[in-house]
Amino acid sequence: MKALIIGFGFIGRDLVKAFYEKKDAIRKIDRDFKVIGVSHSKGYLHNDEGLDLQRLQHIKNLEDYGSSYHAGESSLGLIEKSEADLMVEATPTRIKDGEPGLTFIRKALNSGISVVTSNKGPLVVAFHELTRLAEKNGCELLYEGTVAGAIPIFSLVRECLQGDRVLRISGILNGTTNYILSRMYFDEMSFELALKEAQERGISERDSSYDVDGIDAACKVVILANALMNRNVKFEDVEITGIRGITQEALSLAKKSNFAIKLIGTIDSTLEVAPKLVPINHPLCVHGTLNAVHLETDLAKEITLVGYGAGRETVSAVLNDVLTVLRKKKKAA
Amino acid sequence: MRFDLTLALADRPGQLLKALEPIAKNGGNIISIIHEREKPAEGFVPVSLVVDFPSKWNLRKTIEDLKSLGVAIVKSEEIVELKRLTLIVIGRMGIKRLIESKLENVRITSFEVSAPTTKEACVKLDLEVPTESVDAVMDELKKVSKEENAILISPV
Ligand SMILES: NC(=O)c1ccc[n+]([C@@H]2O[C@H](COP(=O)([O-])OP(=O)(O)OC[C@H]3O[C@@H](n4cnc5c(N)ncnc54)[C@H](OP(=O)(O)O)[C@@H]3O)[C@@H](O)[C@H]2O)c1
Repeated sequence: MKALIIGFGFIGRDLVKAFYEKKDAIRKIDRDFKVIGVSHSKGYLHNDEGLDLQRLQHIKNLEDYGSSYHAGESSLGLIEKSEADLMVEATPTRIKDGEPGLTFIRKALNSGISVVTSNKGPLVVAFHELTRLAEKNGCELLYEGTVAGAIPIFSLVRECLQGDRVLRISGILNGTTNYILSRMYFDEMSFELALKEAQERGISERDSSYDVDGIDAACKVVILANALMNRNVKFEDVEITGIRGITQEALSLAKKSNFAIKLIGTIDSTLEVAPKLVPINHPLCVHGTLNAVHLETDLAKEITLVGYGAGRETVSAVLNDVLTVLRKKKKAA
Repeated sequence: MRFDLTLALADRPGQLLKALEPIAKNGGNIISIIHEREKPAEGFVPVSLVVDFPSKWNLRKTIEDLKSLGVAIVKSEEIVELKRLTLIVIGRMGIKRLIESKLENVRITSFEVSAPTTKEACVKLDLEVPTESVDAVMDELKKVSKEENAILISPV
């Protein structure tokens, strides 16, 4: 199979490394797997014979690859002309309109190219449109990396809970806020200091609002509700309270009564992101940058998954999605 | 709805069966039964039952039927299941406003105010709420804290 990688940032580059490091495992599923195109905002690399992953994994700018670089050209052109089977989409998240990823994903699916994405934007804006489009064109659309990073929540429900009905989901869906609240809880730091530390350590974006005001967690709530609970909801349907107002006093009072305070996304009759009191022996009470997702279903009753929600670990989810597509396509062929 | 029903039965064989019949007939589901045969007082044996009825009406019908059979009713009370809730409120919302809001059947079992080093006061409340009104109480508290510009931190 021929693959494209759209977006050569943190995720795109880590994925190239993973493709190279795991090449033997990948070949076991698909002997002819190759990456034929990689793009960023300023142009793309394209070589139908396959790009050299060893060379690619050592560069940060696509221009430095040497040959095959098309400067100033849009990824859309690459998707159109490439005749790829699979596209990994990892451009920046924009929840207002899902762009530029939304246009790339629509284009790919309409051209019969399966899509793996780590970008929440297109799914928050157009989840059902895109899943229908994938179905109509006989393509896969997988997005494990969009929610709770390396935690295999969608794969788990798809593969292992096929007969269960998901009744309620709650979880810590943002590692940055969990880090800040953990520092405030254990080390009695102020919110401002903990946030500053998170930014200095590269855990939080420079624009911290996305994490701290609950926007990122709310995007994940929307995707979980649409994907796992058959809802048809939008970002505006989530009631959001961030953690800016959480004081040291509140954490001390909680601690005295054996609670922690965590930013929790909840999907039941309503959709909510808000700071909640979590008993210290509750499965969702995990600390640092960890994420956790708690599922309540009709048959299995309760399942909790804990793991890393962002950073390098996310590549595990993206790679697994790619391998899932390879396996399915192989089976179909 | 769950009720605590205590009857006084005559200390004669067959009385218990006779008393159970109207309960079943009126849709009651007996959860537990304590028949204290060894404690007769003036010829009567107390029987304590916990019964689920679909409504209060079914209980009333049962009591009428029992009375017409000559069974004395010692006690008939609804058993209200209580849920304990811990909440933290950050902001200037006074305890007074909380207590004055329309929170029926809610008992505040304890509250603690932190010594504020910041301008925002912080209160922890322990409440006892009838299980069936937890959602309504939470909705009302949310509404009040929104009006007062306070942050309500509820249990997960
Ligand atoms: N990093 C994580 O830990 C993580 C975890 C889970 C999910 N995600 C999501 O995964 C996606 C990628 O994350 P990232 O950290 O890799 O982001 P990133 O480092 O900012 O990289 C984004 C890449 O997309 C490229 N790009 C931007 N606009 C483009 C356009 N119009 N056409 C083609 N390429 C374009 C950028 O090009 P230039 O290099 O030219 O700017 C860059 O290479 C995001 O949606 C993010 O939210 C990230």
